[in-house]
Amino acid sequence: MIMRALFKHSILTLCGVLSLCASAFAADGQLKIPEFAGLADKAAESVIITLDPSLLRLAARFLDPADPQDAAAREAIAGIKGIYVRSYKFDADFAYPKADVDLVRKQLGAPGWQRLVEVRSRKEQQNVDIYLLVEQEKANGLAIIASQPREFTIVNIVGSIDMRKLHELEGQFGIPKLEIEEKK
Amino acid sequence: MTHARAGESSAFAALVRRYQRTVYSIALRMLNDRHRAEDLAQEVFLQLYRALDSIDSDTHLVFWLRKVAVNRAIDRMRQESRHDSEPLTDAVTVVDESIADDPLLHRRMTELIAELSPAARAVVVLRYQEDLDPVDIASTLDMSINTVKSHLKRSLMQLRARVQGTAIVEDIR
Amino acid sequence: MSKDFEQQLRDALQPVDPEEGFDQRVMARIAQERSRSRTKITRWASVALAASVLFVAVLGAHQWQLRREQEGLEARKQLIEALRLTGEKLDVAYQAVNRESSPPADDGSGA
Repeated sequence: MIMRALFKHSILTLCGVLSLCASAFAADGQLKIPEFAGLADKAAESVIITLDPSLLRLAARFLDPADPQDAAAREAIAGIKGIYVRSYKFDADFAYPKADVDLVRKQLGAPGWQRLVEVRSRKEQQNVDIYLLVEQEKANGLAIIASQPREFTIVNIVGSIDMRKLHELEGQFGIPKLEIEEKK
Repeated sequence: MTHARAGESSAFAALVRRYQRTVYSIALRMLNDRHRAEDLAQEVFLQLYRALDSIDSDTHLVFWLRKVAVNRAIDRMRQESRHDSEPLTDAVTVVDESIADDPLLHRRMTELIAELSPAARAVVVLRYQEDLDPVDIASTLDMSINTVKSHLKRSLMQLRARVQGTAIVEDIR
Repeated sequence: MSKDFEQQLRDALQPVDPEEGFDQRVMARIAQERSRSRTKITRWASVALAASVLFVAVLGAHQWQLRREQEGLEARKQLIEALRLTGEKLDVAYQAVNRESSPPADDGSGA
């Protein structure tokens, strides 16, 4: 089992390096996610979320500023332009097209994308890859590809990712406390 | 009637002329007043104008006119609650003296008919002016045949007694 | 003997004509009513049309607003779900990193 403990280091680096200076780079952090046609019918559970800029703005209007969770979410998505999620769970092993998932992983080899975490767990048969698109010391995209025999999840967040805001979402919406600073 | 339904005014006017006597006479015998009778007769034809599409034959038309005229008259009488007859000053001039054997008697009869209740009056008018049989009278007035016969019987007795009473008085004189 | 009483009744109740010109008076009244109806219909038609246009516009706007509200609530729901899933996968990575970072358990061996 090979684990790369880059996660903690990368997060610290990014938190230190990332600034609020204006981004001059207009690279697109949006991945080309396959249609996965017909997969929803085969899956026991499926989550398909496509929040483009206008839908994000609409969603933000319905976040209650008086609610701490909603307020934190609104802060977190402030610079975000899009959130795209495809998540499927199956009743049988490898009922999904692994090749299609690998195609998404391949896009993360393009310039700008930096791997934050790579988890390969033979015991749990789980693979998790977390990538950031970093441009001019700014995170303009986040990609998470997680796969197991009976499920896979692709999360693609486009736009200015404020890791500190993401950090502030800890404990809310099920996001765990990262306790990054504590582990220094 | 087809032309009248098609909206031809002259055709409708012809219908009015054809049936005005029937409608006006019913109104007159019921209301016992010429002006009110004309007003009611006009209303009947106005209503006919609106309802022309629902009339499907000449027979139906006559039935309809009689029914509407007499029922409107009864409604008006009940609204005005005039069961006591007024002097038939207008009705006197109405008696067609050319055919009347006894104008005085006829005048007396119309006076006495005007004293009948609205329903009884309607029965008598439809029977003796319109020459309808009790079955047709029943359907025109939405009454049972027994009620019609009952009205007829009582009205005739009452009228006969009143007329004979007069005659007796006259004979004695 | 006097005539049969019923015949006398018939004689007394002979139908009578209305005054001359009755048909013309009826037609005049019909014409008057038609003219009144047309005016009423035209007036009411404009009012009804204006009211119905306004109603449709208001209803349309209201329905659009309802639809937009539904879309907004749905978008919010999706956003929450997306953040939750993101957090869930981040947690997987975090747990893995945590396990990697923790000192190995003492197995009791060694001298």
